[in-house]
Amino acid sequence: MASLDDPGEVREGFLCPLCLKDLQSFCQLQSHYEEEHSGEDRDVKGQIKSLVQKAKKAKNRLLKREGDDRAESGTQGYESFSYGGVDPYMWEPQELGAVRSHLSDFKKHRAARIDHYVVEVNKLIIRLEKLTAFDRTNTESAKIRAIEKSVVPWVNDQDVPFCPDCGNKFSIRNRRHHCRLCGSIMCKKCMELISLPFANKLTSASKDSLSTHTSPSQSPNSVHGSRRGSISSVSSVSSVLDEKDDDRIRCCTHCKDTLLKREQQIDEKEHTPDIVKLYEKLRLCMEKVDQKAPEYIRMAASLNAGETTYSLEHAGDLRIEVQKVYELIDALSKKILTLGLNQDPPPHPNTLRLQRMIRYSATLFVQEKLLGLMSLPTREQFEELKKKRKQEMERKRILERQAALESQRRLKERRSDLAPRTANGEVASLRGGPAPLRKAEGWLPLSGGQGQSEDSDPLLQQIHNITSFIRQARAAGRADEVRTLQENLRQLQDEYDQQQTEKAIELSRRQAEEEDLQREQLQMLREREWEREREQFQAASLHTRTRSLDFREIRPFQLEPGREPRNHLAYALDLGSSPVQSSAAQKIPSPVSALEPVRVWSGPPAIGQEPLPQSTVSQQSELASLNPFEEEDPSSPTADSTTSPPAAEPASGPSACILKEYNPFEEEEEEAVAGNPFTNPDSPAPNPFDEEDEYPCPRPSSPPVPGNPFEEATCTNPFEMDSDSGPEGEEPIEEELLLQQIDNIKAYIFDAKQCGRLDEVELLTENLRELKRTLAKQKGGTD
Amino acid sequence: MNVVFAVKQYVSKMIEDSGPGMKVLLMDKETTGIVSMVYTQSEILQKEVYLFERIDSQNREIMKHLKAICFLRPTKENVDYLIQELRRPKYSIYFIYFSNVISKSDVKSLAEADEQEVVAEVQEFYGDYIAVNPHLFSLNILGCCQGRNWDPAQLSRTTQGLTALLLSLKKCPMIRYQLSSESAKRLAECVKQVITKEYELFEFRRTEVPPLLLILDRCDDAITPLLNQWTYQAMVHELLGINNNRIDLSRVPGISKDLREVVLSAENDEFYANNMYLNFAEIGSNIKNLMEDFQKKKPKEQQKLESIADMKAFVENYPQFKKMSGTVSKHVTVVGELSRLVSERNLLEVSEVEQELACQNDHSSALQNVKRLLQNPKVTEFDAARLVMLYALHYERHSSNSLPGLMMDLRNKGVSEKYRKLVSAIVEYGGKRVRGSDLFSPKDAVAITKQFLKGLKGVENVYTQHQPFLHETLDHLIKGKLKENLYPYLGPNTLRDRPQDIVVFIIGGATYEEALTVYNLNRTTPGVRIVLGGTTVHNTKSNLKSTGQFPRGSSGFRTAQQKQGELSSYSEVHKQTVNLNRRGERRRRVRRPAQLALNLPAGFPHRPQVLEESLGFHACPYNPPPGSLLTPEL
Repeated sequence: MASLDDPGEVREGFLCPLCLKDLQSFCQLQSHYEEEHSGEDRDVKGQIKSLVQKAKKAKNRLLKREGDDRAESGTQGYESFSYGGVDPYMWEPQELGAVRSHLSDFKKHRAARIDHYVVEVNKLIIRLEKLTAFDRTNTESAKIRAIEKSVVPWVNDQDVPFCPDCGNKFSIRNRRHHCRLCGSIMCKKCMELISLPFANKLTSASKDSLSTHTSPSQSPNSVHGSRRGSISSVSSVSSVLDEKDDDRIRCCTHCKDTLLKREQQIDEKEHTPDIVKLYEKLRLCMEKVDQKAPEYIRMAASLNAGETTYSLEHAGDLRIEVQKVYELIDALSKKILTLGLNQDPPPHPNTLRLQRMIRYSATLFVQEKLLGLMSLPTREQFEELKKKRKQEMERKRILERQAALESQRRLKERRSDLAPRTANGEVASLRGGPAPLRKAEGWLPLSGGQGQSEDSDPLLQQIHNITSFIRQARAAGRADEVRTLQENLRQLQDEYDQQQTEKAIELSRRQAEEEDLQREQLQMLREREWEREREQFQAASLHTRTRSLDFREIRPFQLEPGREPRNHLAYALDLGSSPVQSSAAQKIPSPVSALEPVRVWSGPPAIGQEPLPQSTVSQQSELASLNPFEEEDPSSPTADSTTSPPAAEPASGPSACILKEYNPFEEEEEEAVAGNPFTNPDSPAPNPFDEEDEYPCPRPSSPPVPGNPFEEATCTNPFEMDSDSGPEGEEPIEEELLLQQIDNIKAYIFDAKQCGRLDEVELLTENLRELKRTLAKQKGGTD
Repeated sequence: MNVVFAVKQYVSKMIEDSGPGMKVLLMDKETTGIVSMVYTQSEILQKEVYLFERIDSQNREIMKHLKAICFLRPTKENVDYLIQELRRPKYSIYFIYFSNVISKSDVKSLAEADEQEVVAEVQEFYGDYIAVNPHLFSLNILGCCQGRNWDPAQLSRTTQGLTALLLSLKKCPMIRYQLSSESAKRLAECVKQVITKEYELFEFRRTEVPPLLLILDRCDDAITPLLNQWTYQAMVHELLGINNNRIDLSRVPGISKDLREVVLSAENDEFYANNMYLNFAEIGSNIKNLMEDFQKKKPKEQQKLESIADMKAFVENYPQFKKMSGTVSKHVTVVGELSRLVSERNLLEVSEVEQELACQNDHSSALQNVKRLLQNPKVTEFDAARLVMLYALHYERHSSNSLPGLMMDLRNKGVSEKYRKLVSAIVEYGGKRVRGSDLFSPKDAVAITKQFLKGLKGVENVYTQHQPFLHETLDHLIKGKLKENLYPYLGPNTLRDRPQDIVVFIIGGATYEEALTVYNLNRTTPGVRIVLGGTTVHNTKSNLKSTGQFPRGSSGFRTAQQKQGELSSYSEVHKQTVNLNRRGERRRRVRRPAQLALNLPAGFPHRPQVLEESLGFHACPYNPPPGSLLTPEL
């Protein structure tokens, strides 16, 4: 009788599977296991591992009842989850089961057999070669016979009274014939003949393979060609003397059989059916898709998240490329499907099945992959996304910074108990590099704070780290370490300077390219408006450029944070202390808002009704374009230096000195006061548009219509074109999207038709029609 | 220990080894089933396998641009077919895999046939069983025994299947078997023999606790396969029949063409994977959720997709939508049919009595209930006979056994001779005389206490109170308490520790209820992995068939009433709801089934009637049909 108090029967929870010790939580169990049983068998480890995985999964459930770590005995039956057993579906992957190969055995037996077979065939071929090596037509039959006899010894006539194949008795009427290849005897009925072309085909094929094997330099074609010639001449002659057997070689059925098999093999080797060629192409395309699609998906995902790592154009190109490949796959598989359908003996049902299956799998492939291709955002959406992301990043950063400040403050407090502090140390701790609490004897500098480390390039980050290390080392009084660190720092800085100059060059180069590109684009867009004033055009082009730069130019901009750590820091503190600014920082001008100030600033020329010299316009626009970015700066003093400021900078003139002189932080402060005097510092400005509306008011040079700046856009403002070009520039994108959708839907229709889902087909066709209509409408609109 | 994965890995390896290019898979009848259980067509198509051919099919064309992967059982016929094939090869190159051990002489004769050197690989890949679930395998052998003894052919097939399983999982087990069954002992010896003979193959890395193979005989528990089931997988098998994951729905009234046969495979049907072990009520609500999801995604007929964004959303959701529409219509059809059968055959009531017969020891109440149901015209002759069988098995030796009276009732009901014969047949098959252990009365103190407690607490669900006997056996085994006098070891060695990896094999077939039990044991017992196998997976029908005398055909499901042609009452039958108040006489507190209504969207391929009865624990939160009763608490 089993005992009732058997522990295994009642205990549950985090039991160690080896010693059955009850450990209160998963963590404890893990550490217990690592300490106590780490040396034990691996299999058990695998089991506990799965157990641990399971436990992790169950953790969420357990968390709800944190107090008692023991899982309560489940709700009901199989719903109970956390006993620690494993769902068979979750059993850890196992290795391939046992296998045993018979190949070596098989090969051994086969080799024995094959050797015999191959020797036989080769013998026949060699004899055949000898028999056809001389010019049969111009040789006397007696001589031929002699040669034939020399090739293979003929069996003695007396030894064979009956035909070995059909068993008929040989007589005067039923004469004996000798096989020229093996020398055996058969009757006329059983005799086979080998024509010269056939013989030549066999011998030349083996010669070819021989010649290519032995001396690749020797052109096999020449041999081939010459033989071909002789064959044709022979056959033309032989057609005249059809009755005569001399141009054909007598042989027995066995030899003929062997030779026929050989011929078949040769044929197969040379012949590749159409389906194989098409199929190979198809597979190539599929491989291409497998390569490209993930890349595209990465791009699209990144773009859809509002990141700026990839360019929208590039992604669009890639998308089109991939779609082209899909079309090719579709076309190829369709071709395979219809292969040989019109031939007279219709292909074997299995061939058709194969073709259908290939087509089906290609459709599946396209379906699966094509539909995995997410669409790209349109230009505006992309802007929107970018904005959102930036805001989010900002919020995160602010939170982080606040958290960092908080922790630093705490640390500072703690440290002030430990050691007297210098002003320098204070800065160090603020910069996020607090010295660690001392361990037993070692000294370990901490790496820099989160704020900087995230965004700047690794070099800069390293420099930061090292400077903070130096400070910490100094504070800790480690002279030797300070020295080595300083050496390091110097090297790093050199390296960094070099990099920066390179970058500046690169930047200017790119900018020039960008400019060209923009100009081209504009030219295309506005061929109709060429008559307009040149200045106007150029001014406009400048604006579009700055605008487009705003979202296209992405260059890490590390100069400021790198060179002016103090300033930056001060700023960080500033941010932490003034919620107004931080909240203002959260709104980043959208492209629209970026344009807005431009319009406002361009008020004077509008009033004057007289175009300003180009230089002034550009200067103004320069200023104007700076404006939005300054607003942005507070939002991204450190991390977001990757985005706008560099874009603004090159727009104003790609020179590094301007860049250095220009301190966005100081100016920003001014701007905040001067540019926006009416904004109540206590109430965070709601949205950029409101703010923009406020701009015109304080300015004397505000336009005559004080109300809505949008109305202004309709008057003869030189920048009016700009607002025109916006929607027009979007047109092609919309169209493209539409076209893509049309393509997609076509694919679905096809697919649905194949599956016989008529209702879907209908629905889809309806959609398609709608889309086409929209497209047509749009096209009509633009023209 | 995942058998599905084990077979799948073999197949993947075969395909992988053959390299790129168009391929044809050459199989025999059995390996076709084996492969189809682990790979779907579209999955295997992606691996460039485009054609599936039977080695014995004569109508194969020469296609030298294809590579052939042959996966065959090493039978004499297959070897002969293969020899013919190699003499005149139809494909460019052959990769040959046998699903079990092949003799050296067969290899030799194959080698000699391969004059054109088309064979690139000859291997043994031990995927020689049907992998149903990760922990459940079958050999698809019906009627493996003749009387008490093995059919020699089936014994060898079973031995092969079982050794292949061990090899594919890389287990070299100790063997225990059920002493009361001669067949179990024979099989154990045969397996042992193979292990000894092929000792090289069975040399695996030693684990601390050796794996265990437990061989049982169905006749020890003839009850389990006689019960109606209420978890999805088991229920589908019981009522519709699952054959290699395929379900034949052609008999469902008004079935659409593409749903005549559906595949339920947990490998690629997420809904099924999540629901196969849930009970009918839970499935009802899940399927409702599934459908609501679907309706959200389904573009409405009138919806014109006005904006580009709409269209984009539609297009992007299209594949999921398509996949979903397949899943939804399949499961709705299956569940709808189940629910139809449940109401038509009055299965809730039948099942309750079945469970009482199987789990409780109250003779008079059981007898009364059986008698009452025999009077019910809606109970089919099949179900009636089944009830009597259960009664006969349970109260075989009861002092006031009134089996003759029940048999009379059966005859009066018009139950045909063939069904009545089955009653004695089943007693013959799994009666007390045969059983090695006691199915019904608890033996030890623990069990007695348990049952007592159960009686106090009441049963959670009247329809699923039965626990297969296997549960107790395995429970004891895991705890190291399985008696050696009933389940001896083969050979001198015994296991000192508790077993960790266990393979249980039931001669005469396992059931899905047992599969569920094993599944739960796996989930609830740390460090223990159990795989269940059987010569087949039974439902009641197949179980009775394998006792040798079950009539062929499905006519048994018709009630006498329907036979008279009163089909017009169908709709009445569908709308009927179970009168839940009726059974006030039950002493125990019992959870009552809730009402569940499913409103299917219009335009659905098949529109099952209201899914009314379902059982289980939660009342359906969805709008109940007007006038229906919600669960009254008793």
